[in-house]
Amino acid sequence: MYFNKNLLWVKVLSWRCALGCCCMHTNMAEPMELLCWGGDWDLPSVHSDSLIVLAYAKFSGAKLAVKSIDWTWRTITASVPQLHYEGSTVTEPAQILNFLRKQAEMKLYIQLYLLSATKSKMTPTCQKKIKTRITELEKGSPPCRFNADYELTAKQGADTMAYIALLEEKLRPALLHTFWVDAENYVNLTRPWFTSHSPFPLNFFVPGRQASLALSRILLTKAESPLLNITEVEGKIYSEAKECLNLLSHRLGNFHFFFGDTPTSLDAFVFGHIAPLIKAPLPSGQLQKHLNQLDNLCQFCNTILKNYFTDASAEKRMDCSLTAPHDPVDANLQKLTQLVNKESNLIEKMDDNLRSSPQHRHETKPSARASERNSPLLSKH
Amino acid sequence: MSLAAEAFVSQIAAAEPWPEKATLYQPLKEDQILLSDSASSLAVQTFLRMCGLPVQVSCCANAEYMSPSGKVPFIHVGNQVVSELGPIVQFIKAKGHSLSDGLDDVQRAEMKAYMELVNNMLLTAELYIQWCDDYTATEISRPRYSSPYSWPLNHILAYQKQWEVQRKMNAIGWSGKSLEQVYEDVSQCCQALSQRLGTQPYFFNKQPTELDALVFGHLFTILTTQLTNDELAEKVKSYTNLLSFCHRIEHTYFKEHDRESQSGSPHHYKGSLP
Repeated sequence: MYFNKNLLWVKVLSWRCALGCCCMHTNMAEPMELLCWGGDWDLPSVHSDSLIVLAYAKFSGAKLAVKSIDWTWRTITASVPQLHYEGSTVTEPAQILNFLRKQAEMKLYIQLYLLSATKSKMTPTCQKKIKTRITELEKGSPPCRFNADYELTAKQGADTMAYIALLEEKLRPALLHTFWVDAENYVNLTRPWFTSHSPFPLNFFVPGRQASLALSRILLTKAESPLLNITEVEGKIYSEAKECLNLLSHRLGNFHFFFGDTPTSLDAFVFGHIAPLIKAPLPSGQLQKHLNQLDNLCQFCNTILKNYFTDASAEKRMDCSLTAPHDPVDANLQKLTQLVNKESNLIEKMDDNLRSSPQHRHETKPSARASERNSPLLSKH
Repeated sequence: MSLAAEAFVSQIAAAEPWPEKATLYQPLKEDQILLSDSASSLAVQTFLRMCGLPVQVSCCANAEYMSPSGKVPFIHVGNQVVSELGPIVQFIKAKGHSLSDGLDDVQRAEMKAYMELVNNMLLTAELYIQWCDDYTATEISRPRYSSPYSWPLNHILAYQKQWEVQRKMNAIGWSGKSLEQVYEDVSQCCQALSQRLGTQPYFFNKQPTELDALVFGHLFTILTTQLTNDELAEKVKSYTNLLSFCHRIEHTYFKEHDRESQSGSPHHYKGSLP
């Protein structure tokens, strides 16, 4: 009886999986759509927040249909970046990263369940646990802020939050100033670019609106005393930004990415902030000059561009994804089986990391012990 | 301050030793001070005690207006007036006292990052709860903030401050958040701090740094302040290592001095730690 009920649920799941509600590699489903500003200066997008989402999507292998808002009315109506999927909309880079990660996690759990059901060797408690987790994810667990990596330890997750706060507080005001408030840069680079990428008659309004938003943000957050004017604030924010870049450079050291050899959400955030600064042809860029002296950060940026954003790597990835649709479920299951073979307590590890990570807030009590019994069973294939 | 002025001040600061009569100014303890100001003030007091520098706490109704940057607390040392924890740490470093000398570059980067996390999340959440939540603003913040002034100045100043804070929340994108989301953010911030602290006595090895002072200031104030509801304090209480961290710092730096001098207790108009 139990087996039949589960079989039905398995069928529903595999149908859903086949429709690709979470499957990233299949071409059959409607892909997730991302709205963002267009690209220039060797970058996929000139907008920091859009770059963050694009970079993370490449890191995690999520398939996104990128739609540029250039030359549309969305330049003034939409808050970019924006992710559309099955009728729901997600804005803000942190929320979007969280959403992508949740999709990836759901996919993994569903496939684990499929694997367990087809092999029918996993104990019912473990299956039940996976099932609960999937329904939780579907319902939409409480939103977490920077919940984008489950490969990191809890402490690394805490570090991610701290460094992202550092970026937002110290580096972003200076970036806004460099592109939108500094007169030379604004008149010679930013305004012409945004004017030429907006439709008539919006091209008269879009750059001015962005510039005034940027200025008000800087003044409200940094120039707290009525005695300071914009020139004194400039000195303060640039010195803080240079210090922030130095700190990032110290933290990165000689590594390829901030946490070992694989890129994570922190790498996406740092890339999104510093890439426009490195690549844009700014007429007056004291911050750019400072950044060019920090070799490891420039190297970091170029590595990501080369490995994830050039056409060569894109073709390579397209080849892989072309083979996948032949048998998406099987191929993914095979990959998953290998994963499970490699680490017999995969569920327990993921669960532990998830439960103890600072960004993860859930009320369910995981019974990690159940998975221990399953791992020897799962690993024999 | 511009960069040139800052360098000038550091030079002057380095020339003189710490005087006997250094004073820290904050708004009135019993009637006027609010949660966020109290937290910042406690953080600075803790930092000074950790450095072993004596300071007298003076409560004035117009402390905010006396301050050079408009924020409390500020210290008056010799000829200089310095406000806010960041510049005060630099000022004291110029005088030759520093808590973070033993850290290497990577650790210093981490420390700065965590301090920004506390400022970004905890302080902003405190400001939001005080001024953007209507109930708290009406019951607690506005009456307290304007208590030293007579009508109609009290209304004008209170509303002006509230508008100012709401504009700032708008600019950084917090105005769209609900109170539950803010509590959730505080919870995540505390979880990150709890993870970083682990089982160590302080955040970096065995020596306290300015990060410890800042975290203590905020957490202690949240735990001992009575707001309209206890949810904020409950969020912090659920992390036992943070609670024991606060107890430890309170015992180490405040109880002994209290026994000696009967002043400078961190217990304001609220109770003591649970």
